[in-house]
Amino acid sequence: MTSIGTGYDLANSIFSPDGRNFQVEYAVKAVENGGTSIGIRCKEGVVLAVEKIITSKLLKPNANKRIATVDRHLGIVYSGMIPDGRHFVDRARDEARAWRDTFKSPIGTADLASRMGGYMQAYTLYQSVRPFGITAIVGGYDPSVDLPVDGEVGRGPSCGAGGKIPGKNFGGPGLYMIEPSGLYWGYYGAATGKGRQAAKAELEKLDLAGPGGESLTLEQAVKEAARIIYVAHDDNKDKDFELEMTWISGPEGPTKGLHQEVPRALREEAERLAKKALESDDEEEEGKDDKMEE
Amino acid sequence: MFRNNYDNDSVTFSPQGRIFQVEYAAEAVKQGSVVVGIASKTHVVLVAIKRNAEELSSYQKKLFPIDEHVGIAIAGLTSDARVLSNFMKQQCLGHRLTYGRSMPVRTLVDMIGSKAQINTQHYGKRPYGVGLLVAGVDDHGPHLFEFQPSGMTEEMVAFAIGARSQMARTYLEKHLDKFAECDREELIRHGLRALKESLVQDRELTVDNTSVGIAGAADKAGKVEPFKVYDGQEVAAWIESVADDKEAAPAGGSGEGETMEVDP
Repeated sequence: MTSIGTGYDLANSIFSPDGRNFQVEYAVKAVENGGTSIGIRCKEGVVLAVEKIITSKLLKPNANKRIATVDRHLGIVYSGMIPDGRHFVDRARDEARAWRDTFKSPIGTADLASRMGGYMQAYTLYQSVRPFGITAIVGGYDPSVDLPVDGEVGRGPSCGAGGKIPGKNFGGPGLYMIEPSGLYWGYYGAATGKGRQAAKAELEKLDLAGPGGESLTLEQAVKEAARIIYVAHDDNKDKDFELEMTWISGPEGPTKGLHQEVPRALREEAERLAKKALESDDEEEEGKDDKMEE
Repeated sequence: MFRNNYDNDSVTFSPQGRIFQVEYAAEAVKQGSVVVGIASKTHVVLVAIKRNAEELSSYQKKLFPIDEHVGIAIAGLTSDARVLSNFMKQQCLGHRLTYGRSMPVRTLVDMIGSKAQINTQHYGKRPYGVGLLVAGVDDHGPHLFEFQPSGMTEEMVAFAIGARSQMARTYLEKHLDKFAECDREELIRHGLRALKESLVQDRELTVDNTSVGIAGAADKAGKVEPFKVYDGQEVAAWIESVADDKEAAPAGGSGEGETMEVDP
């Protein structure tokens, strides 16, 4: 690596002569070693999924959760340094609560992504801290109507300045990915962690930005998410893993606008299908190999 | 000479994305003597080997009660453990005062996790040089957590940390399936046997160097066994029950029950 030995990579917030902050780039490396996380946004809602590598047989199965609920309608999953992720989630919960206190309404997914992007960025500014060793995927479903909040006194204007634009649709599913630099984008399908490349390739096949995204149901998205985690794990086959999945639908959907764990029956069905899909893939490949040998 | 420049503080990532200061802190845990924890459906036990500085000195405590329902076992820097232990005691007490009931174990463990994480992200701080096994009971039954200097906390079925703990972990992995159904006494015996696995050649468990801590979840009558540490003669019968010549002895001998009833 060209950075090593130049001295510009020894402290956070230091620019190298060509304008790079190496410590942030190294933080990204920490993310790339972590278990794969993905998010899928479809019309009906958002699915978050994570591959949890089982580092020890002595871990209690299904007891250590990695996808956090930040507010009723918001979830965060992250890859990289897990204690950093916990801290990040704590901060996100603080932001969500502060927003409710101030504005008497739940924080929007985009607003939370913005706040947390800013928080992440602040940790690239000073030599006295290090950047976060995580990339976080934020998923949420914003309500399209104002919901009353406890302690609410009156309400703002319904249109015009500071209010809503008449005829415009508000709310709906949101998915954002925040990197250690603080950079964040909105996504139709997001992937990070060790298996991100394979996962991205699979996400692109779903054509979420095109007609594929229009037609994909939330339940199908759950099944695709499970399959993608299984595909992404493929390169890492010798280690066992646990799949954790959560989803958020609109008020008419299965979770009634809440961020919840995918019900066990559906998750197990999705895992069964994922394994089946992998097996048939392997058979095809083996078939090809046989032909080549002939 | 080659020098690693990336290991001087906990705010510097190496080009591979590692933080060496945190990894070195994890080494400090391996310097401490071994502690073992196991959880069943009804109980959670901690067992530990205590060290003495010299023949005539006393032994360093390894198990600490935190609250009625929680206790910890430590491996690494004892003084760091005391800081965390005081913090945990305060939080548990505060929770009791505010909510009128005991703190869920996971909540408590997450708190020390967050506290330790901050030490890995700010200049001028250092990671805690201690690993913990946190054992406790709450509404969801018995729990065992591992805490590392990185701030990582994970719930385990059974675990061992400290010097030569790998041997103990191997024992635990081998008997993993049995733990859930074990009764109180069987669980302690498994703990002590795991402990013995990691002993150096000519050392053995004695009443002086062995500590046992137990907590039991609410039984059918709703009675909880509070976390209690057993030392000295209180552990004699348990040590005897796992003596080498009794390896094959059937579970639940008649003699060992008596000593356990005795209060110190």
